[in-house]
Amino acid sequence: MNSNRNNIIDSFQFRLFLISVGVLLVFKLFVSSSDQLVYGIISDILLLFTITFLFISLVGFFEERKINPLSLIMNIGIISAFIFFLIFFYSSIISLFFENVNDDPSNPGFLSTIFTFVYFLLIIGFTTYVLVALRHLFFLGQSTNKHIYFNTMIVFFLLASLSIRFTTSDELSFISTTFFIVSTLLMLINSLRISWIAFLTKKEKITLLFMSVVITVLFIVNASNTGNDNSINLIFLSFSKSFNVFVSLILIYSAIYFSMLFFTTLFHIPTAEVFDRKAQEVSSLQYFSKLITQVLDFDELTETVTDITIKVSNADASWIIWKEHNDFVPIANNNIGFVDSELINKFILRKVSWDGLSETTFLKLTEFDELVKVSKLYKALAVSPLKAHGKVKGLLVAVRKDETRFNEEDRNAIATFSDYASVAIENSGLLEESIEKERLEKELDVAREIQKKILPEKNPVYDGLEISSVFIPAFEVGGDFYDFFEISKTKLGFVIADVSGKGISAAFIMAEVKGIFESLSKIIESPKEILMKANEILNRTLDNKTFVSAVYGLIDIERGQMKISRAGHCPVILLRNDIAQSVKPSGIGLGISEVDHFKEHLDEVIIELEENDTIVLYTDGITEAKNENLDDFGEKYFTEILLENRNNIVDEISKKVIQAVTMFSYNHSQYDDITLVILKWKPLQSEEGRRDRQKIKTDGDKKWQNSAHQL
Amino acid sequence: MAEFSTSIINKGDVSVINLSGYLDAHTAPTLEDNFTDLIDQNKFKIVVNFNDLAYISSAGLGVFMAYIEKIRNNNGDIKLTNMNDKVFNIFDLLGFPLLYEIFKTDEEAVTKFNESSGVGSK
Repeated sequence: MNSNRNNIIDSFQFRLFLISVGVLLVFKLFVSSSDQLVYGIISDILLLFTITFLFISLVGFFEERKINPLSLIMNIGIISAFIFFLIFFYSSIISLFFENVNDDPSNPGFLSTIFTFVYFLLIIGFTTYVLVALRHLFFLGQSTNKHIYFNTMIVFFLLASLSIRFTTSDELSFISTTFFIVSTLLMLINSLRISWIAFLTKKEKITLLFMSVVITVLFIVNASNTGNDNSINLIFLSFSKSFNVFVSLILIYSAIYFSMLFFTTLFHIPTAEVFDRKAQEVSSLQYFSKLITQVLDFDELTETVTDITIKVSNADASWIIWKEHNDFVPIANNNIGFVDSELINKFILRKVSWDGLSETTFLKLTEFDELVKVSKLYKALAVSPLKAHGKVKGLLVAVRKDETRFNEEDRNAIATFSDYASVAIENSGLLEESIEKERLEKELDVAREIQKKILPEKNPVYDGLEISSVFIPAFEVGGDFYDFFEISKTKLGFVIADVSGKGISAAFIMAEVKGIFESLSKIIESPKEILMKANEILNRTLDNKTFVSAVYGLIDIERGQMKISRAGHCPVILLRNDIAQSVKPSGIGLGISEVDHFKEHLDEVIIELEENDTIVLYTDGITEAKNENLDDFGEKYFTEILLENRNNIVDEISKKVIQAVTMFSYNHSQYDDITLVILKWKPLQSEEGRRDRQKIKTDGDKKWQNSAHQL
Repeated sequence: MAEFSTSIINKGDVSVINLSGYLDAHTAPTLEDNFTDLIDQNKFKIVVNFNDLAYISSAGLGVFMAYIEKIRNNNGDIKLTNMNDKVFNIFDLLGFPLLYEIFKTDEEAVTKFNESSGVGSK
């Protein structure tokens, strides 16, 4: 009993009870009136106060705590046994101490008065306790307010008890008899309110059945003992006639209530299991709803799962075996160390197959030869699959230390719960995926935005040069990049590049690459030197698995000359006189090799331009575009289309290429960015210029063709 | 995209990694794990067989770049074998043949390892 808060002894009502007990004792000891009626009335009033105060303080005591109905019934049983002994063995106890006490009950001695008083005090205590306990049971499981029924019954109890005092003649006895009968009827009605037994488990119902039959018998015996004309009856009458009736009424009420309880429980036994299952489902639903709220956090979720597993299966420890890559690791360990669970995991995985486990299975840990290594001696083990989409994602494990093996009930509990847990874990995964997907999409939006801003808004305009550029981003930003640098009125620099990797990181590198070429093009003209410098910078800034392929070119309009350097990028295609030539000077991708090595292998070609020369720059998004059979679009097909359309204006050529790529990869999603830049040399015809160009051309031609042949 | 898998065979003190399927940004970590494991075991003589590799993306190429320095610093090397034309073309464009030794067969690569026990970095 909680001594500081709910102590019944400290309560105000209980003090009043003690005071009234004292007054009653004093009254019984010292006041003896010749007037039997007045004496009786005063005595009864004092008694009434005593019982009332005790009743109220006990009610308060009961309401303050949650009491299991079964333990309450057990208490009533014990008390009914006490009452039985008090009543049944009264005369033998009395005769032990006071030989002549029964000789003259109307004129008792001092000691026997005290003895009688204590005796009745006990009876008062016990019966009041029984009444309050029955009241508590009456209100158990009642949803609506039913005070009126119980209170009316109590009132009739009192009326029946007190009216006996005034029943001096037989003619008037009908009054108290009527009250008595009404009380009994009310008892019957109130005894029907025992719906709470429906919520007991089958086990509890069977216990209740046995207890109620014993208690019923005890109360029937007690009630008949107090009502009969025997020696105890005389003692009662000498103490208080009304109290005798009151006690009888309570005992009868108890007898009726418990017999009712017995029969109802008896009829409930066959359906008990169904009720059990329903109740189990209800509590599972509660657990399930608890799981739902935690799907946001996988760790928290799995910890709750193991926590609830312990509760539903009365296990000592629980954890989940989770498959990470190709390893089986224990997670969400509850009440067990990591090392222990890992040891037991090995045993489990020896005994059951990961994918083959379809239902909750029990294992005897006594068969585990390495059990001695585990710090606690677990005896029984239950393992249940956690499935998602029909695949086993994890195993839920529960272990017990004591000898009692897991039974069928535990199996059901674990199985049901692991089903719920599977759903929750699956949901958690799906949620995580969708959050991740959303995050990726946001990230890709940013990447695409960066790419859009980096790429030139429009093509530069130069006399003698037709320029067309097309860029089609892939869903995952592919890292393609191209730019033009208007160095002077007669010089145009251009670059096409492809950053390795995808997404936001590629987009950021793209931005860096743009900055590098933008600034280098202002101070250096030679494509070779620009690429060398760019490699130097990118070698420093890129991580060791990222690189950039690029082609940098410079067109000198005045001289009709183009210089090109290539760093690991797709070759440049030159369409001249119905022939497509692949211009592929040597060069390693940017950020791959150290400065000297890069320099050593980097070439620059000079192309003397002829009228209608068409220069095609592209990224592998075109040549590696795939159809549904995963065939590449390929350089051959690409060149064919270019040649077919070589006499068109550049925008038309671009259009045809993109059309062809789109048609080709119609049934396959675009995996990489597609970039296509086409330049066509349409020099303004001036005699001077043509002559100059003719002169320079002869040496240059050889140079780039050689380079192209080398590789 | 499609599946990617690797398998490792030891030929003397040379480890041969066989690649199969599609090596791209999504599957690259598998190959990275292989390299990390071999390096952890102090196995620096590595041959990568491309016979069953259908496709390699730029991220896949990056894997080779990421480990080459460490491996060469430990007197090892990554040698590449059995490339089909398409895959070779991708390596070739980027200038990888200037950085890695590429052989037709595993045997040639293993022999090369045995001839010069310890190929220095370029």
